[in-house]
Amino acid sequence: MDPLFKALSLFRRRRYEACANVCSEYLEKNPYDQAFWTLKMRCLSQQVYVDDLEADEEGIAELLMDENTIAQVARPGTSLKTAAVIAAKTPGTSLSIRPVMQTGRPITGMLRPGTHGRPGTMEHALKTPRTAKTARPMTSSSGRFVRLGTASMLSQRDGPFINVARLNIRKYATICGVSKPLFEYILFVENDVRHALDLAAESTQFHQFKDWWWKLSLGKCYYKIGMLRDAENQIRSALKHNECTVDAFLWLGKVYIRMDQPLAALEVYRNGLDKFPGETFLMTYAARIHEALAEMDESIKLYKDVLRHDAINVEAIACIAMNHFYNDQPEIALRYYRRILQMGTCNAELYNNIGLCCYYSQQFDMTITCFERALMYSDSDETTADIWYNLAHIVLGAGDRQLAILCNRLALVSNNEHPEAYNNLGVIEMSKQNLTTSNIQQTKSFFQAAGANGKHLYEPHYNLALIGEKSGHYDFCYQNIKKALELYPTHYSANELFNRIKKLYESV
Amino acid sequence: MSAKEEIKPVIPNQGIVFQEEKSFYVLCKPKLLPLKSVTLEKLERMQESAQQKARQQMNEKQSESNQFMALPFK
Repeated sequence: MDPLFKALSLFRRRRYEACANVCSEYLEKNPYDQAFWTLKMRCLSQQVYVDDLEADEEGIAELLMDENTIAQVARPGTSLKTAAVIAAKTPGTSLSIRPVMQTGRPITGMLRPGTHGRPGTMEHALKTPRTAKTARPMTSSSGRFVRLGTASMLSQRDGPFINVARLNIRKYATICGVSKPLFEYILFVENDVRHALDLAAESTQFHQFKDWWWKLSLGKCYYKIGMLRDAENQIRSALKHNECTVDAFLWLGKVYIRMDQPLAALEVYRNGLDKFPGETFLMTYAARIHEALAEMDESIKLYKDVLRHDAINVEAIACIAMNHFYNDQPEIALRYYRRILQMGTCNAELYNNIGLCCYYSQQFDMTITCFERALMYSDSDETTADIWYNLAHIVLGAGDRQLAILCNRLALVSNNEHPEAYNNLGVIEMSKQNLTTSNIQQTKSFFQAAGANGKHLYEPHYNLALIGEKSGHYDFCYQNIKKALELYPTHYSANELFNRIKKLYESV
Repeated sequence: MSAKEEIKPVIPNQGIVFQEEKSFYVLCKPKLLPLKSVTLEKLERMQESAQQKARQQMNEKQSESNQFMALPFK
């Protein structure tokens, strides 16, 4: 069989490794064959390709030594940084109903590479616990992609396929069939943004600034090295071409989000929707921004629009379901989650959610079975810990306090830093009928562990303050109640307690 | 009466009516787990397989060098 035909057929069937092997065999005999060279490049980039629109993480350095912010103290509603404070005040996302993630944002229905969100200050960013799942890279150029890149280099037996540093970029920019695959290879496999940028710049020039694809690529490269204004210019110029696709709008929106201008991003998506009506990606991105700004109603409205156009969009279903659950409609949430299950997704998180929804909509028979499944499917310690923690709630609802303690203990076995489990263990300890048997010292240390591991929780601080008041340690109480109120300013009982303590101080 | 007008509660202040607020310790709320997006799953899978490959190669290299070390001096 003709090796090129065989390789092409393998490529079409997505058997990239086999295809790359065929290509390298032929390239050993004839190193200058452009067809095989290009095909091998495409194979290698397809193997490591991820949607770089979605997979993007900001490093700490980009976040905090950021020179692009317009206002350090932004007006409420115009910045993603101040959103957490607003979220605590709005009823739909109130902290006493909907838990928050480590960043202080209300918990979201879908976990994406960028959902860590922006921490407020350097101190906060560095303090956020760095477990294997939540580690934030120092800069995005030292992040996950570079690690992936180095790993893929290691796994190639005879060194890298192309030595990018020695490539005559000007020459390759003029060969139309080769330049685009080469660009993708440099960007995705080698992660060498600077050379990719060179190639894109040469190619745009060669095409006399008439090819929107190169302009968009140039914009992407600028975005990756943090030159946001240049990225904005390039993508805007790409948008002037009539044949430009939805991608450009999405990328421009991303640039604005990185600049912390969510309203400008929303405007871009709105323009995009004028040109491409009913485009679900644009709507999803806009919904994410509304969610990050704690504008849940707008977000849910957009997600519902998404479902009208694309009824199997998992992200939209998951977000709507979570919103219903925390708005006191678990039975509706249950229907949404069941829909996801019907579509073939089946993992620990989903079964855990279905179990909780079943319990709170009083379908007790299904609950335990769902949690059993969730534990069976769980493949990470963090998830297992969360499942045990939720199970403790259900057991507590059934009135079995001893079993609830065991469940929380099991959560701590899987994840020794589970702050919510520590807090609940403390509460259960304090709720023992006979006050003399409850171990106040142990309870205190439970709450303290919870407060130290979960900087985003107000509950442990409030509980500690309550202990302080009951045992007469008013200073201890005052310090903790202030921390609780910082995290959740409108909590009724915390405010009452604060006023009581304040009166005592004033009378002294 | 329009629907918007608030109805004020009538709380009698005579007789055997008393009001007491007792604050108790707060539990953390049950946590629905966010699902993972396809991109995130793929990224994690890729990272894992890349790490495994790298580890495998390191082991191979190490065993090769061990063989070399085991050669007797002459």
